Amino acid sequence: MAAGTATIDTTALAAQSPSRLAWRRLRRDRAALVSAGFLVFLAFAVFAGAPLLGRAVGHGPNDLFPYAVNLALKPAGPWSWVPDTSTTPGIDPKTFKQTPPPAGTGKTLLVLGADGPLGRDELQRLLYGGRVSLTVAVGATLLALLIGTTLGTLAAYFGGWVDSVVSRFTDLVMAFPVLLLAIVLGTTVSGKVSDVTLGGALNKGVLSLILLIGLFTWFYPARIVRSLILSLRRREFVEAAEMVGASDAKIMRTHLFPHVIPALAVWATLAVATNIMLEAGITFLGFGIKLPTTSWGSMLAATWGTVLAPLPYNASSFSPWLTIIPSAAIFFTVLSLTLLGEGLREAFDPRGVR
Amino acid sequence: MLLVLTLLTFALYRAIPANPAGFLVDLSPGHVPKPAEIARARKALGVDKPIWEQYGLYLWRLAHGDLGIAYEGTSFVPLTDERVGQPVGPTVVHAAMVTGSVVLGGALFALLLSIPLGAIAASRPRSLTDRTILVVTLVGICTHPLVVALLLQQFPGRQWGLAPPGNYCPFFGSAPTTADPLSGRHLVGCAGPGAWASHLVLPWITFALFFLAIYTRLVRVRMIEVMDEPFIRTAAAKGASRRRIVRHHALRNAMGPVLTLVGMDVGLALGIALYIESVYRLPGLGLTTLGALSGGTGYDLPMILGVVLVIGVVIVVANFLIDLIILWMDPRAAQAGTRRSAVGRIA
Repeated sequence: MAAGTATIDTTALAAQSPSRLAWRRLRRDRAALVSAGFLVFLAFAVFAGAPLLGRAVGHGPNDLFPYAVNLALKPAGPWSWVPDTSTTPGIDPKTFKQTPPPAGTGKTLLVLGADGPLGRDELQRLLYGGRVSLTVAVGATLLALLIGTTLGTLAAYFGGWVDSVVSRFTDLVMAFPVLLLAIVLGTTVSGKVSDVTLGGALNKGVLSLILLIGLFTWFYPARIVRSLILSLRRREFVEAAEMVGASDAKIMRTHLFPHVIPALAVWATLAVATNIMLEAGITFLGFGIKLPTTSWGSMLAATWGTVLAPLPYNASSFSPWLTIIPSAAIFFTVLSLTLLGEGLREAFDPRGVR
Repeated sequence: MLLVLTLLTFALYRAIPANPAGFLVDLSPGHVPKPAEIARARKALGVDKPIWEQYGLYLWRLAHGDLGIAYEGTSFVPLTDERVGQPVGPTVVHAAMVTGSVVLGGALFALLLSIPLGAIAASRPRSLTDRTILVVTLVGICTHPLVVALLLQQFPGRQWGLAPPGNYCPFFGSAPTTADPLSGRHLVGCAGPGAWASHLVLPWITFALFFLAIYTRLVRVRMIEVMDEPFIRTAAAKGASRRRIVRHHALRNAMGPVLTLVGMDVGLALGIALYIESVYRLPGLGLTTLGALSGGTGYDLPMILGVVLVIGVVIVVANFLIDLIILWMDPRAAQAGTRRSAVGRIA
């Protein structure tokens, strides 16, 4: 290399903002990337793909196919072609078999089989139910974020009695089992709220579950935000902003808020995962989404009954697919959300533990 | 906090349009209750007084240890206007013991297994054992305990007959028949420590699976952190065997956050216990609440209040005990006040 004025190429050494660094770290985490891809695919499948699938196979999620169940009410398994008619088959008195459908009825494909004695399309019910489950989970998380961030910021910023009141309150209620409280409240007050559908945008019962879960989980983001902002409250940049005359609101919005985004993003992904499990559990216990709205939890409840009305096990009509399919949907969604959340946590704040 | 809880429950009860007179009035079809009967029923139930008076009376009786008489199954003492029925106190205490046996047994199971597993994973980081344990625990977190409970009950329970699929057997003595809190049916009794344990095996496994996953990961992370500390190196330099290092030095120091998490998880544990009780039909706090909430004739207020109170007491006591244990294990925690600053789960 020639001596003399050696200019260092500084473009490669340009300082990178924390978010750029985090993004680079995230890109290296293959599990998180695969999970993110799966989640995007899931969102597409559930919202846009469901009607497309309906168009492709020619029937909807609520169409009954009585020919998809045999005489013992055992539903057909995955990838079965069933006669496309909704007339209930009679039983031939000579052979004790189902009478065949009238000649000329076409066959339609049930990609994941039938969903029980009614013979509806399991995959379509899964997708439409996924809409409900995901809407509930994401909606509740957003609500919790909104309330939690606001209250946490206010508590940390203003301190004093506001802080002590909010902190005591969150400590107390966080200790209590959310599930029990949710159920107690759910039965008592959800009657009026569950019929609100926001002009058809949401299904029945979705809003009340969103409110219920959101109102009981906002304490976690509130704590996170509160401890973060407490540690930043007295820093120089906040003082500088105050000296320049920025209002409290502006300081909170512009200067303090960007610092809490990483921690909240990590919490949010894990919270959506927990809320999906919570929704499934509450619906199974009989207190969540009620029929005819489907959700992944109510698909499980359709097979096993609810706590108050358990369906007895019947070996001849039991199809393991009815349990496996919604459980697998819940499992893979929660798995990808967990992996993504852990990936985000590592990306924003790497430790050498891996 | 307990006061707030009772106030909240009372206020909620006020908000719902429930008429508890249905519990005492004859509602058989074809019989329309007369206003006088309804008034008598309401007087006996104590709901004809204004809500503040009811609340005050409740607190007064509570101070004397009387949790009231449940609405469900109550009836008039003949020829008077008093009512008798199932006293809430003993029922709720029994339910608490059932839930307690599930939770404590399961938690013990989970801790006993997760500590060695976490230590093994930590001692061979990034090896096949470590990766397998990580994957298995990840699966354990993401599977809904409800699904696990249903599958365990169905297959090892009913079909393969490895363990009884449900019902609770009291530990002491012989309780011939108990009533299922939801349907009121009487269940055939069983009793004794052996039956108690065998009926609880499946619930314990279900409970433990979920927490096993979380605690194993936590122990693993903590052990890896602790093994890097200088005092571990000093112990090795002094010639301590690996076993002694792990057991005597590392584990002790790694346990702090684990216990904190255990303390914070009491609420979560009660929620999971609810799923387990409902699937395996154990008459614990969860099922009792569900029964009180969903009775055909209305909401059983004294029972709900009793359960809420007991849960509150349990949580307060549990947190207190955990604080004591943490203090015993690491006296420095007294100054730091570290427990309250934990911010979020380590899934």
